[in-house]
Amino acid sequence: MERQHVPRLAALLLLGLGLLLLVSVAMARERACIPFHLKTEDGKIINPLTGENADQPYSPRQTCGACHNYDEITKGYHFQQGWDRISDDFGKKMNKPWVLSDGMLGKF
Amino acid sequence: MFEWVGGGPTDPKQIGTPFCGGCHPGGGGLEFDRDGKRYDQRLKAEPSLAQAFDGDYFKSRWDKSGVVEADCLLCHLPGYNFPERNKQLKMYNFKWASTAASGIGQVSGFVKDNQEPVVRYNKRLFNDDGKIVLELAYPPPSENCNFCHGISDSKKRGFSWNDRRNHDVHNARGMSCADCHPAIDNPALKITKIQHQFAKGDENVSSVRDDLDNTIMTCRDCHSQGYMGAPRPAHLGVRPNHLQKLACETCHIPTLHIAGGEGFDVTTGAMVNYPVFNLQDLKNSPKRIGDYFDWHPRYQRIKRGQLAPVNALLAVFFTNLDKDGIHYPLFGRENKKAYDKIKDKLQPKNPMKPELHTPEQIKLMLTALSETLQGNKRFQQIKPYYHKGGKHYHLNEKGEVVVEDDHTYAGHVEGFNINHNVAPAALALGANGCGDCHSSEAHMFKGQIVTDMFGPPDGKPLTISSGRLFGCQPWVFYLNQFHQLYLSPYANILMLLVVFGLVLHYTGQGPKVADYYKSPPEIVWFPLSERWTHLFRMVSFLILAFTGYIFFFNNITLLRLSFGTPQTAVVVHWVAGLIFIAASIASVALWGKYARFAPYDKEWLAKKGGYIGGQEVKVPAGRLNAGQKIFFWLTGILTLITGVTGVLLIFKESLPLSLSCLTSTIHGFFAVIFVASVIAHAYLGTIANPGTWQVLVHGKVSRNWAKKHHSEWYKEYEQQEQAQKPAQE
Repeated sequence: MERQHVPRLAALLLLGLGLLLLVSVAMARERACIPFHLKTEDGKIINPLTGENADQPYSPRQTCGACHNYDEITKGYHFQQGWDRISDDFGKKMNKPWVLSDGMLGKF
Repeated sequence: MFEWVGGGPTDPKQIGTPFCGGCHPGGGGLEFDRDGKRYDQRLKAEPSLAQAFDGDYFKSRWDKSGVVEADCLLCHLPGYNFPERNKQLKMYNFKWASTAASGIGQVSGFVKDNQEPVVRYNKRLFNDDGKIVLELAYPPPSENCNFCHGISDSKKRGFSWNDRRNHDVHNARGMSCADCHPAIDNPALKITKIQHQFAKGDENVSSVRDDLDNTIMTCRDCHSQGYMGAPRPAHLGVRPNHLQKLACETCHIPTLHIAGGEGFDVTTGAMVNYPVFNLQDLKNSPKRIGDYFDWHPRYQRIKRGQLAPVNALLAVFFTNLDKDGIHYPLFGRENKKAYDKIKDKLQPKNPMKPELHTPEQIKLMLTALSETLQGNKRFQQIKPYYHKGGKHYHLNEKGEVVVEDDHTYAGHVEGFNINHNVAPAALALGANGCGDCHSSEAHMFKGQIVTDMFGPPDGKPLTISSGRLFGCQPWVFYLNQFHQLYLSPYANILMLLVVFGLVLHYTGQGPKVADYYKSPPEIVWFPLSERWTHLFRMVSFLILAFTGYIFFFNNITLLRLSFGTPQTAVVVHWVAGLIFIAASIASVALWGKYARFAPYDKEWLAKKGGYIGGQEVKVPAGRLNAGQKIFFWLTGILTLITGVTGVLLIFKESLPLSLSCLTSTIHGFFAVIFVASVIAHAYLGTIANPGTWQVLVHGKVSRNWAKKHHSEWYKEYEQQEQAQKPAQE
């Protein structure tokens, strides 16, 4: 092999490895969360190892909401299922009984 | 609301699924009341609400149970224990449900038993710093989606996932729910991923955030782009109008393999589900929704105008027609009160399945409801209705049962879309040819669909044929059957018979040999205008016959070889058809006057044109002989019929199904006769009368030929010739 080709080949090899790394990173399953503290519904840390609030159930709102926007997430239709649209006079608007109102609140 | 969160039948061995919590991940209405306040905090602040007539708080114990916050782990934690969550909810341990079901900790004690639940965390999940380490999944695994959708969608549409028996090609290739239903991230819709609005299709019945309908990628999106390696089928074997009129699911989900719901009945106060019926053997119908059972969907025209597979889930229930003219569905407890009153009189075989269908049974229940609903504060007027099988039943002033077609929302049957459990292409409808749908017994038209689960007079299901349900009238179906069973298969035989008959004629009778070659062609029989008209008519007819043959027999191999795509072949057929019509009009203008019948034609016909008998006989004929005149007018009529129907078929997509089917059959039937006639015409114009075809080239015939074949015309020609001679001299 001629010496002047060596740097080019090395560069190509590095480029290939770099691309491989990128692909493998992209394909790796995303780890959703790093280790985190559980919290009670009052926002207090639960630490079973020290016994701190360890008799309380954890609160998703306080625990997950510490990093993620819980209020924004729970606007999603899986959480509302029509609750954000229903009202006491909903039936009058629809000219249907309220039990047939939007979403899962009466209708299927 | 409180009771609904964890309500439902309680079986100590199998806890079952709670009403709301069974498919609600928490948050929203399970956390906040109608005024947007947390149930637990508000009840603690206002304990009297538990006695108030308020649906959110009446007889509630939110202050003890806590609320059901959105349980992130329900979706994002592989191995989440869904039955444990159900158990916690049913026992009013709302705020403990996630801790217990996630396996983070064990919960002992139930609020429902007036205990204070206690948590014992699994310390092995925690680091020394007290932080928990969980292998959460993003996006959520399909198994977790199945917790809720497996139950509800089995009933709605026989849906299953990760089920080899009720397979789905996408599932089999490792796709997950989130691949098709990702979190929407669309600036145009002002929706970001964090909002957890998931891409969805266009479900007919459900009405959760219909504004987000069609945010999912469609079958066409993926299978035209090759998204995620999706195959890109050309569907060359499928007629273009089928691709337009039918949703992909119609062909690709021919059969479901687990029992969906046929319907439900709430007469007893409980919702009693009926799995799809085995109409061939009712006693061997599946026992439960989700049991292995092969069934075919019904078909319905959906929002985007295509025919798609659905499951109707027939509802049998009671309403009260109030003073405001609205039918209010009765609550289970209201039905139960009336049913309990008449149960002994009814004496149904199964007390949980009274299946009211006789006028006497219905009268008993409606009368009982009229009595038990008296004083019900929900209503200003008591007028109970029974809704079943597209009819509603109520009592008149004399207390007799009146049956009417149900035009209320209750009688409106709309099916749940079936769009999962996609079969491999080899199992799709059409993979084995048109007969998959158009054979005499195919489910698409002839399959029976239940319209009333307990119909009169014997309580057995009432059915209607699938085709009838989506708008195909019986006569159209039988017309289509004529096309499929007789016209198509026997058209080839007819052609062969015609050719065979001509061969017999040729071998028996032989050609009419005129002294064509010994005497030169010198008389103009066909001028240029007529030759061109004939040429256009002949060439366009050949193209029509060729493309028509491809359509008639759906010969995909020939189509691909000749035209590449069905669309090209269709356009060629249209263009050739229009040219043929124009040429035919011109031919009427040119030859119409010569095609009038003359007295000597009787002799020609009596002697059968000299074509039969084995001996040559002299037959008189004008410029066109009687046979040619008959052929001329016959093809004129056939052109009119196939032309009118053909032009209508260009606009087939705008025609009603019945008219389209009728037009198509008429077009095909007369086209077959047309082709058979033209084969005979071609025979007579070529080998049966040697030398005749050359007229199409130069337009001239010899005197001998003219004398022999068109004696009367030749006489006229000679007279004209004689008359012109002195003038020339």
